[in-house]
Amino acid sequence: MKLGKLLQAGALAVALGLPVMGLAATGATAQTLTVGVRGGPESMDPHYSALGVHADAMKHVFDTLVWSGDNLQIEPGLAESWKPLDSTTWEFKLRKGVKFHDGSDFTAEDVKFSIERIPVVTGPTTLLIYVRRVKEVVIVDPHTVHMKTDGPAATLPNDFVRLFIVSAKAAKDFSTKETAADGFNSGKATIGTGPYKFVSWEPKGDLVLERYDGYWRGKGPWAKVVRKEMANDSSRLAALKAGQVDLVNYVSSADWQALKRDAKIDTFLADSVYVMNLQLDQREQTPKVYDLDGKPLAKNPLRDPKVREALDLAIDRETMVEVVLEGLGTPNNQLMPKDFFGWSPKVPARKADPKKAKALLAEAGYPNGFKMDLHCTNDRLPGDGAICQGLGQMFAQAGIQTNVNAISRTVYFPAQAKKEYSVFMNGWGTLTGEASYTLAAMAHSNSPELKLGSFNRIEYANPKVDVLLQAAGKELDDPKRKALYQEAMELIMADRAYISIVTLQTVWAAAKGKLKMAPRTDEDTLAFFITPAK
Amino acid sequence: MWGGSAILPSPVALRCPAQRGYEGPVEAALITRESRTPMTGYVIQRCLQAVVVMFAMSVIVFVGVYAVGNPMDVLIPLDAPQDVRAFIIERFGLDRPLWEQYLIFLGNVAQGDFGRSFVYATPVLDLILSRLPATLELTLAAVLGATLIGVPLGIWAGYRPDAISSKSIMAVSILGFSVPTFWVGLILILTFAVYLGWLPAGGRGPTVEVAGVAWSFLTPEGLTHLLLPAVNLALFKLAMMIRLARAGTREIMLTDTIKFARAAGLSEATIVRHHVLKLIAVPIVTVFGLELGSTLAFAVVTETIFSWPGLGKLIIDSITSLDRPVMVAYLILVAVLFVTINLVIDLTYAALDPRIARGHAA
Repeated sequence: MKLGKLLQAGALAVALGLPVMGLAATGATAQTLTVGVRGGPESMDPHYSALGVHADAMKHVFDTLVWSGDNLQIEPGLAESWKPLDSTTWEFKLRKGVKFHDGSDFTAEDVKFSIERIPVVTGPTTLLIYVRRVKEVVIVDPHTVHMKTDGPAATLPNDFVRLFIVSAKAAKDFSTKETAADGFNSGKATIGTGPYKFVSWEPKGDLVLERYDGYWRGKGPWAKVVRKEMANDSSRLAALKAGQVDLVNYVSSADWQALKRDAKIDTFLADSVYVMNLQLDQREQTPKVYDLDGKPLAKNPLRDPKVREALDLAIDRETMVEVVLEGLGTPNNQLMPKDFFGWSPKVPARKADPKKAKALLAEAGYPNGFKMDLHCTNDRLPGDGAICQGLGQMFAQAGIQTNVNAISRTVYFPAQAKKEYSVFMNGWGTLTGEASYTLAAMAHSNSPELKLGSFNRIEYANPKVDVLLQAAGKELDDPKRKALYQEAMELIMADRAYISIVTLQTVWAAAKGKLKMAPRTDEDTLAFFITPAK
Repeated sequence: MWGGSAILPSPVALRCPAQRGYEGPVEAALITRESRTPMTGYVIQRCLQAVVVMFAMSVIVFVGVYAVGNPMDVLIPLDAPQDVRAFIIERFGLDRPLWEQYLIFLGNVAQGDFGRSFVYATPVLDLILSRLPATLELTLAAVLGATLIGVPLGIWAGYRPDAISSKSIMAVSILGFSVPTFWVGLILILTFAVYLGWLPAGGRGPTVEVAGVAWSFLTPEGLTHLLLPAVNLALFKLAMMIRLARAGTREIMLTDTIKFARAAGLSEATIVRHHVLKLIAVPIVTVFGLELGSTLAFAVVTETIFSWPGLGKLIIDSITSLDRPVMVAYLILVAVLFVTINLVIDLTYAALDPRIARGHAA
């Protein structure tokens, strides 16, 4: 998008431009936290969307059954403990003494109601993915529930980090497709157990929240929280510099370089859950790889392990981080960020070697390389378009003429779903912090019967990996399951049909000395855990 | 149809040779057409035209979105397993063939239901209406401001073309034309919000409810929020108004009308007010109307830079998430808006220029 490019250029102008004069006049009092966020919720109904920015906002008003910590480790939330009873039953013990904003008690009834409500009110960005394994919710007593699953569901507690609990009483009349948005957007049903009470919200506008003094974790540090949606990166930063907001999220890498030298601004940096992956079509025939004259190739070179290794060796991950991302990333060689559940220390680090890449191409029968189209998103994650351009140059150096197509996600994902691409790159966020989420969707062969491999759009199939992933999905013992996923990860990365490049990092910026925060891996900006500096 | 009738000679122009100078072909065409169609028939014709445009618009958007890609591929989470995907696609009716989806849509529209946004779950009409006031006040402030300042400046520049003040005005207008809006917006923010700290960097200020609608221009703080985006949006229009008024004035000043008026001993102020202003009003009203329409519908850049929660931002967000119900309803309403504005402009001509009204009677 041309407009996006122009705005990015403008962002630089703002960031590098005039020195900041007046940060003192903060538009808010000490008891108010005003946050400029890139994206806001889509509705005030927590069950409508599974989008990250939606969950971020919802966590202020509602609690999840299982809590996801700063580094996505699972912790007790509204459920105090959980354990599997048999292969298809999980028992959850609920926290006692928790009260909703309207003073009513939180009980098992609310959990059952919330789970059963999701399929009815969900939008297209569906939250159903987090409760799809639940077949039945059995209330044992007001603080014990049994979840009957459709098969062994080892990661059910991980899925429940996005299971928001609404009040069965308040939301009773607002739980159909037609009434849900109305009831929650108006505040009538927006009754949660979270640290903040809902005051007002308008789509793409401000979300205004007020502290809930009866919160079970204790009283929040800010009496009032305002989350202003400011989609444009430079505008959001300008609002921070003008003192209109106290904190902004998603600072771009170019702005970050300038802010590091700015004495009036504090920055906070965290690894994100997003890894950029190159994906290589494994079908017999592939549409976007050509010979040097631009004619389709008789067989798909991407099926040759030597060609895949050559592509891997062509990528200089250090340069990608240092130059393309201006330091905002870490090289990665696996489909998940380092140390996530199922990440394997045994996968060897990847070193760039264009010479060897060329030799491998020659061995594979392409001494002069070939031509290919590389497709990527350019508006989904920070740096995605730039990484794509970088890849194009690196492949060209190894002798593969690469035509780079960095395009909008609105074009990319529909075409990718129709398998129109051969070589493509997009980010993948392991939102639950463990391997089943990522590997089951991407690395298992596509099987609607097993409900596995739904995002495997390159027809990658390794029978050994399939066996391991199926076994891991049923394994309820954590260490054993971890070992299975690690073994699968090692095989997948050795096959190189998926080539991981970098883990992205996220930056927040705040007025100097205003606040302290522990940046979260899932990129949430949770006011309850942000404390005033004084 | 405008182009077709433009080649016909304008009866008014023929009757009144002194006015020939400033009448462009577009205006001549309007006068010709109006003089042949009775007013009520003309209004009915326009309404029918609006319905046709609305139909065409809905088909174009439906097919267009379909050509870009299936919205569900953008909206459904990437990790959704096959059964969840199928469930959602069926639930939103996107498993049906396109013509069937379109017919269902038409059936709902016939009952006044434009559907619900994929992204916001709320009825599309409510969503659009909820954001209309923000855009309306921004647009009116910008277009009215540009006209009220630009037209006097333009008349002055045309009345005294060689004065230094006139030359400065024209220089400013060139700047207004040639500097891109997004850049001016960022510089305005940088100067007045970041560097000087006088005005907020973006967003809409506190609002007051009047007649059930939230307006921000009625509060002092709301006005400070409105100022920068309105100036940003007005700059281009200001330049256009200046140029339009100047060109018109220069032509009128050379005509016999002005010579006779001067010979009759009328004061210069009277001449400018009663003759020049009236005679240049028709093209200015035309441009005013069209600018109002296009700004209402597509103030995208300014609204994005200033985080202004208006319609422009809504449509651009809807496009990037392929929120088809919003796109369809929005573009249909924009078509209606333009048809209405054109109609109002045409009716205004008659009020402004009695010769046009006489044309009807003839």
